[in-house]
Amino acid sequence: MDKVVRCKGICRVYADDAYPVQALDNVDFEVATGEFVSLAGPSGSGKSTLLNIIGGLDRPTSGSVYLGDVCLNQLDESELSDLRLYQMGFIFQDYNLIPVLNALENVEFTMQLQGVHPGERTERAMATLASLNLDGLAHRRPAELSGGQQQRVAIARAIVTKPKVLLADEPSANLDSKSTESLLALLRQLNQEQGVTIITATHDPLVMRYAGRRVLLVDGHIDIDDSDSIDNAH
Amino acid sequence: MPLKLLLQLSWRNLWRQRRRNGMMILAIIVAVGSLIFTNALIRGYQYDMLEDSVLNLSGHLKLLAPGYNEDPSIMSHLVIPQAFRLAIPDEEIYHWTSRIVVPAVVISERETRGIQLVGIDPKDELKMSFLAEVKILGRMLADERDQGVVVGKQLVEQLDTRLGRRIVLMTQGADGLNREAGFRIVGLFDAPGTSLEKRYIFTGRGTLQSLLDTDAVTELSVRLKAGVALGKVKQSLRLLFADLDILDWKELQPMAGAMFEFSDAIVLIWFVIMASALAFGLVNTLITGVMERVRELGMFRALGMRRGAVLLQVLAESLLIVVMGLLCGLVFGYLLVYVMQEGIDLSQFAQGLEAAGMRSIIVPRLMTQDLILVSVLTIILGFLASLFPAVKAVRINPLDALQK
Ligand SMILES: Nc1ncnc2c1ncn2[C@@H]1O[C@H](COP(=O)(O)OP(=O)(O)OP(=O)(O)O)[C@@H](O)[C@H]1O
Ligand SMILES: [Mg+2]
Repeated sequence: MDKVVRCKGICRVYADDAYPVQALDNVDFEVATGEFVSLAGPSGSGKSTLLNIIGGLDRPTSGSVYLGDVCLNQLDESELSDLRLYQMGFIFQDYNLIPVLNALENVEFTMQLQGVHPGERTERAMATLASLNLDGLAHRRPAELSGGQQQRVAIARAIVTKPKVLLADEPSANLDSKSTESLLALLRQLNQEQGVTIITATHDPLVMRYAGRRVLLVDGHIDIDDSDSIDNAH
Repeated sequence: MPLKLLLQLSWRNLWRQRRRNGMMILAIIVAVGSLIFTNALIRGYQYDMLEDSVLNLSGHLKLLAPGYNEDPSIMSHLVIPQAFRLAIPDEEIYHWTSRIVVPAVVISERETRGIQLVGIDPKDELKMSFLAEVKILGRMLADERDQGVVVGKQLVEQLDTRLGRRIVLMTQGADGLNREAGFRIVGLFDAPGTSLEKRYIFTGRGTLQSLLDTDAVTELSVRLKAGVALGKVKQSLRLLFADLDILDWKELQPMAGAMFEFSDAIVLIWFVIMASALAFGLVNTLITGVMERVRELGMFRALGMRRGAVLLQVLAESLLIVVMGLLCGLVFGYLLVYVMQEGIDLSQFAQGLEAAGMRSIIVPRLMTQDLILVSVLTIILGFLASLFPAVKAVRINPLDALQK
């Protein structure tokens, strides 16, 4: 299977404080197209750091990151910006949506940055909202939506541009268990039916259960990766 | 660059903090409005002064024989040929005339005074100077051969004489010898202020020429149409009359000229003071707006918005505030001027004004050039004031913003 994400020997050291912190320590990590991976691990183990490096939001201190054939290390600031815009989908823990735009406009936002034609934009945004059963809420602003609904709109925004990878850092942190379950069902459905590659970082055992592959980080290195066992089983 | 999106975001962000932004806009409206109004007052005063100066026999421009300005007498004269036409386009020139102005001594039965004796052609003069506007007791001179004199009311009082009485005028003739002749006072003029009344005595130009034994005049005075550039006409006159002194009203009346120029400076200084106060307010408003939205702006960047776009977004926001304030401010200023179009009567505050020959009513005068100046400078200043907040917004690191 072709690998969409490849990390080789990633180290990330935060040296801005008095004590340097080694957030990632020589991590090798690959994700194949169509996988649903969950990064797990105690707080401070480096999950967010790894996710940010894969997403082109942060750079490793050493080691290299590839998205498909593109080496992220060689991209400059604005190329990384474009990479995030065209190739990545992001779901953040909270404050996902732009408060002054309604749900539909939020979903159109990244397409607008991409310069997609208005007619096509609205059509695609509505279709995506509809596929997530959100079409009734299209004209509501974030403040008029529940946390779960907001998170679903954020997912619509993240997938409408058909990104290579969908990155979700603690997507369920601010949701109750019922909303979390329907969110996870949605992510799994996107993964299985549309083949969207998903990487999440989470503490939530529920999220881990829905993922196809679990990777446990401890102190900045990969402790357990259950794809190994699957590979071994084959 | 998704300009439409940026503008949309800016517009809605404006409403999001409507109280704060509204206050800012209100501040701009009040500042711009009062600026426009006070400028209009300054301009009103300035142009009254210009008009008064021009009507004070100086015209916009004067052509003088060399030496006259330093030592005014008939010895420095110019001769105007019979069918002379001033080669200045009709669109520029309002009217012109030639006069003889010589120092003279006036003697009544009781008093003696030094004055300027002016020989005029009344039909031209009535298009040139204050004589057209003042009240005249008795009659105006009939033509340039009129042998009567028109004297200021104040001077007649000083000379202790009356309308209809005779006075004697003494001056130097073209040959350098003294002449004197008796004249009947046919009219009294009542000018604003007293200095003109004490200074001038008018008679017919031809009459004065006969007295002085000359067919020359001492000056050619030109009045331009409103809005014509003085410098340009002066330049072309200089080419036409290389051997004459050509002076504009500011040179002829240096005090008034300096005041006129000073008013220009005041308009600018006043603007800079107002605008700097506004700029601080604007920077503060915008910085607060940016700091409140650090996470949101960070998210824009995380989602792939380029730095330039973030910069533009903040700039667009401040520009919206500035432009809205500016437009409403211009309207507000216009309304103030409109309401006060009858003028503001300052006589209560400054009783000496009239005596000093100044008008006590200031009529605000709205000038397009000031509106443009205020608009352009406000926008430039608004832009400069928003650069700092905008750069601050661009510096936001998406990671820091999202983690906090
Ligand atoms: N900007 C930063 N400056 C300094 N140290 C940082 C910074 N960001 C993260 N770290 C440190 O790097 C390590 C890994 O952090 P990271 O956020 O990746 O952990 P995490 O696994 O996502 O934790 P959590 O589950 O709490 O989100 C931690 O020790 C953290 O303190
Ligand atoms: Mg984290």
